[in-house]
Amino acid sequence: MAGHGEEMSPFVMRYGHFVDSRQAVIDEVTAVFMPEKRSYTGLAQAEIFCHGGRQVVTLILQEVLASGARAAEPGEFTRLAFMSGRIDLARAEAVAEIVAANTEHSYSAARDHLLGTYTQHISDIRGKLIGLIAEIEASVDFPEEDISPDEKNTLLESAQQLTAEIDRLMETYRGGKIVNEGYKIAIAGRPNAGKSSLFNQLLKQERALVTPTPGTTRDYLSEWIDLEGFAVNIIDTAGLRKAGGTIEKAGQTSAKKIIADCDLVIWMIDLTQRKWREQLYGDIKMLGHNNIISAQNKIDLVDDVADLKAGSGLPEMVATSCLTGRGIKGLKKVIVQRINEKMPDLTSGVMVTSARHRQKLAAARKALKSARQKIKLDESPELTAFDLRQAASALDEITGKVYNEDILKEIFSRFCIGK
Amino acid sequence: MDYDVIIVGGGHAGVEAALAAVRMGRKAAIVTMDRHKLALMSCNPAIGGIAKSHVVKEVDALGGLMGLAADATGIQFRRLNLSRGAAVWSTRVQADRSHYARFISEYVADIIGVDVIESLAGAILTENGKVAGVRTEDGVTITGKTVIICSGTFLGGLIHIGTKQIKAGRRGEKAAYRLSESLKELGFEVGRLKTGTPPRIDGDSIDFSKCEIQPGHEPIPFFSHRSDRQPFEQTPCYLTYTTDQTKEIVSANQHLSAIFSGQIKSIGPRYCPSIEDKFHRFADKDRHQIFLEPEGNGTNEVYPNGFATSLPEDVQYDAIRTVTGLENVRITQPGYAIEYDYCPAFQVKPSLETRRVRGLFFAGQINGTSGYEEAAGQGLMAGINAVLYIEKEDPFVLDRSQAYIGVMIDDLTTRSTTEPYRLFTSRAEYRLAMREDNARDRLNRFAQKYGLVPEDEYQAFEKLQIQTEEAVRHFKEVRVKVSDLDHRGDRFKKVDSISLEKLLKQPGLTINEALPLIARFNGDIDFTREALERAVISIQYRGYVAKQEREIAKFLKMESEVIPDDFNFASLAGLKQEAKDKFIHFRPGSLGQAGRIEGVTPGDISVLSIHLLRHKRTSK
Ligand SMILES: Cc1cc2nc3c(=O)[nH]c(=O)nc-3n(C[C@H](O)[C@H](O)[C@H](O)COP(=O)(O)OP(=O)(O)OC[C@H]3O[C@@H](n4cnc5c(N)ncnc54)[C@H](O)[C@@H]3O)c2cc1C
Ligand SMILES: Nc1nc2c(ncn2[C@@H]2O[C@H](COP(=O)(O)OP(=O)(O)OP(=O)(O)O)[C@@H](O)[C@H]2O)c(=O)[nH]1
Ligand SMILES: [Mg+2]
Repeated sequence: MAGHGEEMSPFVMRYGHFVDSRQAVIDEVTAVFMPEKRSYTGLAQAEIFCHGGRQVVTLILQEVLASGARAAEPGEFTRLAFMSGRIDLARAEAVAEIVAANTEHSYSAARDHLLGTYTQHISDIRGKLIGLIAEIEASVDFPEEDISPDEKNTLLESAQQLTAEIDRLMETYRGGKIVNEGYKIAIAGRPNAGKSSLFNQLLKQERALVTPTPGTTRDYLSEWIDLEGFAVNIIDTAGLRKAGGTIEKAGQTSAKKIIADCDLVIWMIDLTQRKWREQLYGDIKMLGHNNIISAQNKIDLVDDVADLKAGSGLPEMVATSCLTGRGIKGLKKVIVQRINEKMPDLTSGVMVTSARHRQKLAAARKALKSARQKIKLDESPELTAFDLRQAASALDEITGKVYNEDILKEIFSRFCIGK
Repeated sequence: MDYDVIIVGGGHAGVEAALAAVRMGRKAAIVTMDRHKLALMSCNPAIGGIAKSHVVKEVDALGGLMGLAADATGIQFRRLNLSRGAAVWSTRVQADRSHYARFISEYVADIIGVDVIESLAGAILTENGKVAGVRTEDGVTITGKTVIICSGTFLGGLIHIGTKQIKAGRRGEKAAYRLSESLKELGFEVGRLKTGTPPRIDGDSIDFSKCEIQPGHEPIPFFSHRSDRQPFEQTPCYLTYTTDQTKEIVSANQHLSAIFSGQIKSIGPRYCPSIEDKFHRFADKDRHQIFLEPEGNGTNEVYPNGFATSLPEDVQYDAIRTVTGLENVRITQPGYAIEYDYCPAFQVKPSLETRRVRGLFFAGQINGTSGYEEAAGQGLMAGINAVLYIEKEDPFVLDRSQAYIGVMIDDLTTRSTTEPYRLFTSRAEYRLAMREDNARDRLNRFAQKYGLVPEDEYQAFEKLQIQTEEAVRHFKEVRVKVSDLDHRGDRFKKVDSISLEKLLKQPGLTINEALPLIARFNGDIDFTREALERAVISIQYRGYVAKQEREIAKFLKMESEVIPDDFNFASLAGLKQEAKDKFIHFRPGSLGQAGRIEGVTPGDISVLSIHLLRHKRTSK
């Protein structure tokens, strides 16, 4: 490298050549040095930028490894950053999410975690919880003092509010899950209704085989699309009907499974079928799903759409033509609406996206519930405190922080104590 | 003069240390300024109280003296928190100050046979990094294998009353300045803390009719199973309040207080604020309670608990005379604040032996604590560990799940002192499993192991344990007809009868309600009150204790990840500098302890654990 032997100043990009052990030039590169505590990992770190060819990268890596370096394990940089104390546990997890994030929303949720909005929110809840514990502990540790910790009703109210806050946070997990794991849509319907055609329309490519023969799709097809920033998984399923060959039957069984497991079903109706109205009620009932949109397909072939009202056992209807593309935009709009219904306010930046966090929140919630019960029954305060401390330590497990002293600090700041 | 254990300072810590050493068969001496002031209570004449009483019970279970002395000299006994669960009950005894010190002096010198040397220790003698003895300020050398410093508030003691400053360890007593220098010369870091005390007043000049009477509790809740004192007529305490004028006077003169004038720079305890501090910090509170506690039966002196102050004497007079009932009161001794030296406790190991000088131990106030009970607990541990050190045995360390003593010493050795430390039940994570009633269950085996209690006591306790278990079993078998119950039966309407156990386990049932129920439904058994109480407590807490035991198992796992003494924290790669500094400072002995050091993150602990693993592998 040019300037070999010189001290490199931090954060200054230097230009030079990467040479091998025999001083042969491998590539023109730039490099930068980041000192301890000021790098991503918190350790001293150097980065080398080379040209993008596979061969060059391999040669450089070989050279680096030969001179004693070790390839990082997946996630190791983040682990180091966590271990050096630069980021907390929740933020370390967020990095893992950011790396995996492939849509706008999952990116922004992960970014907010990384920036600590989320951690801050948990800390706020924890702070309130410590306040509640302090009220209760004060009456235990200072029984002779002339202090008036909160009355039963106020305590109950605080506990109730905390529960509600945790509930709200937990509810975001539905949204968080969508953001993180994606939203799953099954396209279902009777054979030949146009399911595969819709699938292709949404994908904007001819992915599924489309024929005029009913029963064309025998297994299922799954693809991901980006719908206004949401990662959406659409699945084209085999047509559902009563009789059929064995393969089709297998296809139908898998279709039923997919339907049971998805967030939303788009039920395709073939408007050219004379009896579609009569069939619809039974079909929807058979689906047994709580989130359905019905696409009245092949609108281009019929003159009028019967005016069927949603509600009374029928889902919302959207008239479409997978041939002309009419109604597809409207259908997408309805889908996004349905997703948004489950999303928390994304601008607040507070959303639970990890199953581990959800589990800890649930534990905190459970402990709070038990504490509320105890307050109600006038049980001894040290028992209530026991539950509340469990709730606090569940929250601590999200951000990884445990301080015993916090409670006393709170008591002394709230109450005038001391004989 | 040559001893196994030399104790400098015959306060609450020193006395227990000497006693333990002698019980373990060693020759011990207490070097102290005044042989008649052994375990003299410097401040309020009371032993026990929240969390402190747990320590008294623990000291008692380990053969210590404090509980017995309080029982013998108490004039009023109370059990705080009785309406709460047994885990937070706390015995508090109002003791006769001079009788207490006399009782202890006689016990220590005459019954136990500790040499009490009346002198002021000025220097710690060492040889090759080991302690060798002490030299008194008048030049006498006393040699010993171990030395325990229990110097209380006397190290560099400086009293403040308004702008007046007096070098003293306690009012009217000398301070120990040379010893403090000696510690610094040995390389110890010495810090400064502050505490304060109220004026003493003449009981004859108090109008008690304006105060609220606070009688003792019956039956008298004695501390020690060893005491044989019979029920007696208790002396009441009184409660009164400051008035608007008090607030006015104190606030107007606040600037004259040594605390506010800047004369005192060290930190005092948040839980023991001076009266000027109370009006200042909680300005919206108009009055504060003052407990009037008699100093003893043979004296008229009264201790106005809650009125600690370092205001000038004339202001103290004006202010206290505005307290209801004290309008014509006479002050017999002014209140004062005192600053003193202490050695931040990162310098001692969990055994209380110093890291710097082998065989030298610190106990009590010198470790940054405050309170007689805290001192006694440490003194006892230091005494035992001094003997174990001589015998080259492993030290005796109680962990956070075994005793409040363990919680205290662990707190002291893993966090920086920001104020004089005292115990609270909220400091004990496993508080439901560490109660007054089961102190002996928790500690008896150690008492026996180290020979701290006579064998017959041990056997008597086993009998009590068996009785407790029998009572528990019995409660399960006895059936109670729901129709025989008052409102307590409401919850059991669906059944004809329930077990007595179930009845006793009802939430919110206090012991005072439980005992009559037992008497009523359990007529034919004849267990002692103590056994019955223990049985009720054990069934009421069983579920929680089981839960805590699971937590304790997790905790113990981390405690058992031992960090060797020679572990080199400085060389650990991947650890941030702050964490390294903290580890080097506190030298944690286990992964669990490392995790409790303030400011250490879970991340630091995972780095440390990786290095520990590697260390273990390579050193095998
Ligand atoms: C003014 C004041 C107010 C206090 N207020 C409170 C309070 O509100 N609440 C509370 O819990 N605690 C309070 N305390 C603290 C309490 O008194 C101590 O925590 C407790 O007594 C400490 O016990 P100890 O055994 O460490 O030392 P001490 O009881 O102080 O005993 C020390 C003994 O060592 C002797 N000694 C010291 N140095 C030497 C030496 N060099 N040579 C020979 N002998 C020596 C002394 O003569 C004394 O007998 C107060 C203390 C004072 C002085
Ligand atoms: N005119 C018109 N024809 C359509 C429309 N949608 C689908 N078709 C035709 O209907 C036939 C069946 O379409 P597919 O998309 O294969 O139907 P499917 O529901 O996937 O059928 P199976 O997989 O066999 O169950 C094809 O010939 C399509 O071209 C539409 O909106 N208008
Ligand atoms: Mg198809």
